[in-house]
Amino acid sequence: MATTSPSVERPRVVRSARWRRFTKGGGVELLIMVLGILAFWSFLSSVIPNPSRYLPAPLTVLFSSSDMLWKGLLPNYLGQTLFRLVLGSVLGLAIGIPFGILLGLNRTVSDIFYPILNFFQSISGIAILPIIVVWWGNSEKTVFTVILYTAMFPITFNVLAGVRSIPRIYVNMLRSLGASRLQVVRDVILPGAMPYIATGARLGIAFAWRAVIAGEMLVGKRGLGWMIFTAQDTDHTDEVILGMVMIGVIWILIDRFALRPIEADTIQRWGLVQR
Amino acid sequence: MPPKLVVQGLSHHYPDEYTGEDVHALDNVSLDVDEGVFAAVVGPSGCGKTTLLNILAGLLPYSVGHVKVDGIDVTGPGPDRGVVFQEHAILPWRTVARNIGHGLEIQGMASEERKKKVQEFVELVNLTGFEDRYPHELSGGMKQRVALARTLCADPVIMLMDEPFAAVDAQTRITLQEELNRITMATKKTTLLITHNVDEAAFLGDKCFVFTRRPGKLKATILIDIPRDRRVWKDLLHDPQFIEKRDEILTLVREEVSPHGDD
Repeated sequence: MATTSPSVERPRVVRSARWRRFTKGGGVELLIMVLGILAFWSFLSSVIPNPSRYLPAPLTVLFSSSDMLWKGLLPNYLGQTLFRLVLGSVLGLAIGIPFGILLGLNRTVSDIFYPILNFFQSISGIAILPIIVVWWGNSEKTVFTVILYTAMFPITFNVLAGVRSIPRIYVNMLRSLGASRLQVVRDVILPGAMPYIATGARLGIAFAWRAVIAGEMLVGKRGLGWMIFTAQDTDHTDEVILGMVMIGVIWILIDRFALRPIEADTIQRWGLVQR
Repeated sequence: MPPKLVVQGLSHHYPDEYTGEDVHALDNVSLDVDEGVFAAVVGPSGCGKTTLLNILAGLLPYSVGHVKVDGIDVTGPGPDRGVVFQEHAILPWRTVARNIGHGLEIQGMASEERKKKVQEFVELVNLTGFEDRYPHELSGGMKQRVALARTLCADPVIMLMDEPFAAVDAQTRITLQEELNRITMATKKTTLLITHNVDEAAFLGDKCFVFTRRPGKLKATILIDIPRDRRVWKDLLHDPQFIEKRDEILTLVREEVSPHGDD
């Protein structure tokens, strides 16, 4: 075999490093899985009667997505759903984090509120939706309330556990350095509870994501959930499936590009968790 | 010059966390530490040493007796008493430099001035080059140096140390003891060290307070008049004066250790 010159060799090294990263990260397995599912799905669609009603083939769904993209409906619905998710989650974090810290720091407060929180935690967002509709009708306010309500519990409970997990010695140390209560919260409690806050946020936003879709199906206009529901009503099964696929894909993108980097930037750098 | 630390007639009881039984931890303890002196409190485990430190640090309220630092009654934790805890307690989410400068940050010192001061103490504890590392990247001994630098950097009236080298290996402990001697000599910091290690107390202490077992009473005060710059393990191990003092403390402590081992 002829020897390769360095100028040819170099890009090959780069390609192989990228390839290794792809294979090491489970890329190959994932690709095989996805292709396998698509193949099985296509096969099912080709053997069942009336596939366009029961299970449109992947390609049909893809065509319907380009059709909806073309009409501008998909971006519109997606934008609406994401807006609801972001606003609801931000509100959930803004209430859940301080509330969790307060519960974690003060025994009396947690003794009073914990049983009540535990009670309401069991009533899912969907289960409180009817009473909210009675109060506020089919409005945006109703949808936001359900999202906020859903996101709040995992966030609050995780932050509470996070605050309790902080070694007492850190607090004592800071007080010996002359820190005020507020400085203790800022320098020890918040960063110390960070791994739990991150977990709580991830869970809370994941729950909120489900709540958005469910809420949109029952109240509100536009949005992915609404799209799926009306598509079913009008026998557009391809759009129903398209909506489902979008839900999963969007979540993976949110997790990969928004939630995980936050984790990597903080608690991994501090050595609080190892991947 | 009045002493920097004065403890007078200090007694302390507390209910046991699990059984609720009354524990008599300290009984009528009186002691004082002059400016620039390195004092060591040594005694068997469970002699109330840690209780004493927590009271001095202001982390444990006391009712019987008096504790004064620089003439002022101790009523709670404060920056006049810097504490080095047994498990270093440096914050994993702060770099070495930001841990060391934490006390100054709390005091509200301007960032430029703080950086200069932090650098000074980074050098003092031999951590140059590690300023931007996180604690999980450091060895146990290095973490304890960070904790020491953090306390000294905040410039307390007195430094309180609770078994600071109990969690490091024997080799590191010897090095850290020599460094602590050098550093407290260089900074002239008044220090009170709590330890169960007789060698450590005799090596570092100008003044050693030997405690009885519970309820902790001051059993004897041993003065060790060896110049600080002569305190290097290699030399002291063969120094008759050191050996005599060390054995004197050892005898006093062994009388207190229960024949059945730890109680």
